[in-house]
Amino acid sequence: MSDESHNYLNAKKGIWSWLSTTDHKRIGILYAIACGAFFLLGGILATFVRTELGTPGETILGQDEYNQVFTLHGVVMVFLVIIPAIPGILGNFALPIQIGANDVAFPRLNLASWYLFMAGAIMAVCGWLFVGKVDTGWTFYTPYSSGASNAVLWLTSAVFVAGFASIFTGLNFIVTVHKMRAPGMTWNRLPLFTWAIYATGIVQVLATPVIGITMILLFLEKLMHIGIFDPALGGDPVLFQHFFWFYSHPAVYIMILPAMGIISDLMGTFSRQQVSGYTFIALSSVAIAFLGFLVWGHHMFVAGQSALSSIIFSMLTFLIGIPTGIKVFNWVATMYKGSVWLRTPMLYALMFLFLFTIGGLTGIMVGVLAVDVHLHDTYFVVAHFHYVMMGGALIGLIGGLHYWWPKMTGRMYNETAGVIAAILVFIGFNLTFFTQFFLGSKGMPRRYHDYSELLDTFPEFAALNMASTIGSYILGVGLLLILVYALYSLFRGPKATANPWGACTLEWTHTGPVPDEHNFHETPQVTRGPYDFHLADDVFGPKNNSQS
Amino acid sequence: MSSADTTLKHYFVSHEQQFDAAKLGMWLFLVTEILLFAGMFVAYAVYRSWHPEVFLQASELLDWRLGALNTVVLLASSFTVALSIHYVQKGQNDKVFLLIILTLLCAAAFMVVKYFEYSDKFSHGIFPGAGFDPHGIIDGKDYSKYNVPFAPQFFSIYFVMTGIHGVHVLVGMGMFGWLATRVARGHFSPQWYTPVELTGLYWHLVDIIWIFLFPLLYLI
Amino acid sequence: MAQGHHHIIPLRTLSIVFAILLVLTVVTVITARIDLGALNVPLALSIAGFKAILVAMIFMALKYDNKVNLLAVVLGVVFVVVFLALTFADTEFRGNLGITEPAITEPVSEPSDKEPPSH
Repeated sequence: MSDESHNYLNAKKGIWSWLSTTDHKRIGILYAIACGAFFLLGGILATFVRTELGTPGETILGQDEYNQVFTLHGVVMVFLVIIPAIPGILGNFALPIQIGANDVAFPRLNLASWYLFMAGAIMAVCGWLFVGKVDTGWTFYTPYSSGASNAVLWLTSAVFVAGFASIFTGLNFIVTVHKMRAPGMTWNRLPLFTWAIYATGIVQVLATPVIGITMILLFLEKLMHIGIFDPALGGDPVLFQHFFWFYSHPAVYIMILPAMGIISDLMGTFSRQQVSGYTFIALSSVAIAFLGFLVWGHHMFVAGQSALSSIIFSMLTFLIGIPTGIKVFNWVATMYKGSVWLRTPMLYALMFLFLFTIGGLTGIMVGVLAVDVHLHDTYFVVAHFHYVMMGGALIGLIGGLHYWWPKMTGRMYNETAGVIAAILVFIGFNLTFFTQFFLGSKGMPRRYHDYSELLDTFPEFAALNMASTIGSYILGVGLLLILVYALYSLFRGPKATANPWGACTLEWTHTGPVPDEHNFHETPQVTRGPYDFHLADDVFGPKNNSQS
Repeated sequence: MSSADTTLKHYFVSHEQQFDAAKLGMWLFLVTEILLFAGMFVAYAVYRSWHPEVFLQASELLDWRLGALNTVVLLASSFTVALSIHYVQKGQNDKVFLLIILTLLCAAAFMVVKYFEYSDKFSHGIFPGAGFDPHGIIDGKDYSKYNVPFAPQFFSIYFVMTGIHGVHVLVGMGMFGWLATRVARGHFSPQWYTPVELTGLYWHLVDIIWIFLFPLLYLI
Repeated sequence: MAQGHHHIIPLRTLSIVFAILLVLTVVTVITARIDLGALNVPLALSIAGFKAILVAMIFMALKYDNKVNLLAVVLGVVFVVVFLALTFADTEFRGNLGITEPAITEPVSEPSDKEPPSH
């Protein structure tokens, strides 16, 4: 196609050309750097938490420090890593090219989103470091948060600001998908990753404003004691939980839907098959987006909400299992009789399938009203949501990063190192969190820095916690290995070809090894679906090879 | 068409696509505004249903005449905005300028009325939340009799809702001021008037929010 | 051609809508000052809802616009209703936990067979 040395990475030079870019691909890279840094921070905090819990008694953190550390771990991982990461990095990078557009609909708004996100992130981290170490947990429940030190204002403001970044990202993608598709890119030719990011956008737009107003009200509650949430002033703290979870439960789907989209693309590409049940996977993303709004009360079964609403929420929670199940079965069916190619991205896709299924099924368990009364606020819940958020969302992200890495950087990473890291992550993750299912079902409570008093009754807590901590170290080594070979690949990796995986979507078939600044020289005319591998000649034939 | 050509961004194929995209983006933003206010409406609904008599009583302290005046002012401003779109589509930019200035004046009038309402409340000790301490006698109403449990909740919600709404009015005023200068500089034409359209949509939403706030807070 | 063929709403339509909005404002003030019992709230909300629909459909031109925009607004409103309805499923049926009613501070001498008081 074009001169290989000319692409979006070197079209303009200098730091300022990056910080002022409106190119969706470069903004994706900006998100990658930021989210990577916050993931490292969150991971270090997680290591502190696990080290403290590795042995009974006080190990490295006192109880206050422990509460502060897990609070920042939660805030950083939820608001600064998992929510923005996949839409921010991979959505920005891949979505416009996947639909044959030259950019998102509002490129300047896109850049503004990144700055808002960074502003929120800096407020959160600096507020915690320099103003006061908040220990409310990432949920900021009242009256605890309204009575805590004023440093909590920094975190709530940070969440408010970062929330707007999320809103604008989602809004941008919805408009882009509606209005910017290339000729022939009909709705049923959209890659499933695009479908998933689109559904995510709906959730971001509809849910995030509510956390905005919740944070404003909490802010005013602290500053002016307006008495909406503070029981001392006649307010209702459970109402805060409604407000909080009206956003934060759909936010779980902001985290997991994009990962599901990545897995769909990976399954198709690495099985060399049309993704089974394409329409069902696409529409189940939208269904999950909507159903996700109806179930928030399952976080509040023991919070004092009415029995009636607990029953309703419990029932509605089961519904989520249907579209999720549709996806899982279709992914499995996609591999059936396909020629499965076990490269690193596919390893993560398989890992996702395994881990997310465990996370999803245990989610149904804690969604059962009676069971949740037993398991609420135990390590069972901790294990469950780490299986979903890390085993689902982050594993999907890592798989997607491996998949699009050659397109983003123009370099290949070391496949052997990739496989070793994937194995370490898999072993480490399961050792860390599967043990916590046992701990939780025995009654080990979450958010406690010490469990030595429980050892008389449950002597196995010591061994299980030690195993979990060792697992977290293995997991950490695996993740660090990824960082190492990624950095190595940036500078020394072999040059990638335009389509190293033989994928069928536009970003692989219609751009060079690294896309140009404006993606396409001429608007692509789409004549086939995203996974039409039976048209292999059309995709991999001599015509296209000579082009790139 | 020369002015239109400079307004077409390279990543769009046509003006039509660009206009539609901008409009859908604005509508989605308005949806986020609706949900932002929804949080406050839910808080209002919950507390009202728990303490209906307190809310009824407390709302007597708000002057429905001023509320109604502000409703009419905002409706008028919505009308002038709608007219300005009508005329910008016809290319009569002098009328557009006049109408935008009128809108700006309506918005300012709204804020002036709001200022008097707020200062009247503050002067009688009606503050949001813990500072709530009504006193004084106005129009035969002894304010100190309104110091009952959950009356502070009503006024907290009143101040937060009208306060955030007022911030939106101020933002709108800034946008209309900016629009007025652009109209004066001849930036808009029937071919390209996207900023007028989008600001108009925003302003109508601010009006719609008030259409609900007025009866909920002042009347019932 | 750029936006030349966008629907231009006639002045007459805009004026009629404005007049209706003003009339409805008067109606809502008058009806609110008459005690209609339980009807006051639904009536006021219906009038407000109708006014909002008029503004959205005519002034904001949703009626003439791409239907995607209408869909977005309808979805937004649906989720406001969901938010309200599911929150009410809790707050209206919470039973008496002594959290919100100041009257509960009276001493309760002994358990009785009477129905517990509710909101």
